[in-house]
Amino acid sequence: MYKRTRFYDFTYYNFIGSWAWILHRLAGLALIFYLSLHIWVINSLTYGEKTFNDVMTFLSSPLFKLLEVGLWSVILFHAFNGVRIVIVDFFKGSLAHKKLFVVLIAAAFALWALGSYVLLRHAF
Amino acid sequence: MEKNFKQTSRTGSLGWLLQRISAVILFVLLLFHFITYHFLTSGRSVEYRQVLERAQSWWFPLLQFAFLLTALYHGLNGLWSILEDYTTSKYWRLAWYSLLVTVGVVLLFVGTLTIIKLYTLKVA
Repeated sequence: MYKRTRFYDFTYYNFIGSWAWILHRLAGLALIFYLSLHIWVINSLTYGEKTFNDVMTFLSSPLFKLLEVGLWSVILFHAFNGVRIVIVDFFKGSLAHKKLFVVLIAAAFALWALGSYVLLRHAF
Repeated sequence: MEKNFKQTSRTGSLGWLLQRISAVILFVLLLFHFITYHFLTSGRSVEYRQVLERAQSWWFPLLQFAFLLTALYHGLNGLWSILEDYTTSKYWRLAWYSLLVTVGVVLLFVGTLTIIKLYTLKVA
């Protein structure tokens, strides 16, 4: 009997792979939302030098730098868990998917620290 | 419900494969994008002239268009696969699918316009 998937069935979330799955989806939702905003805002950079400078000044405030660090975290999680998905699907990675998760997230965390330092170094 | 399920009998395997191919492309392009636009520009004022000069090299429009297309496809196809999991009515599926295609076309148009405008703007 076909059973409908419901997002509040918390029995799915007891394992590392389930958490990776739900976080990957939430990160993906956040990223498509951001991408839409990004495409709109970048368009305003083409209305001459004054508009360009106004928008860039607005986007260089500490608040936006912090949001950019948040964006960088979401991107890294989604990208590195995505690598795990590709390895699992194409290279028999399911045999070691939990180890892969730990290793890839550690690599992502290192890049996160490096990138966040670069972003925040002159922000405050 | 089972009847609805059978009516969408296409397996979706092409979308599945393209999602992974676009993921691998995005992994490279997005890291490149973040390094050049977010890290290398962080902490110093971004000059309008510099941005236009880079935007008017021969490779810029091609790379940006490829990036835009891949990111929009990956994002909207990802959103579609989430919506498919929680929507069983074929009318709702059609409504969501139409909405996603419309959003994709509009954002592709806005983004392409930005690339073309940046390419053709006169450097003062």
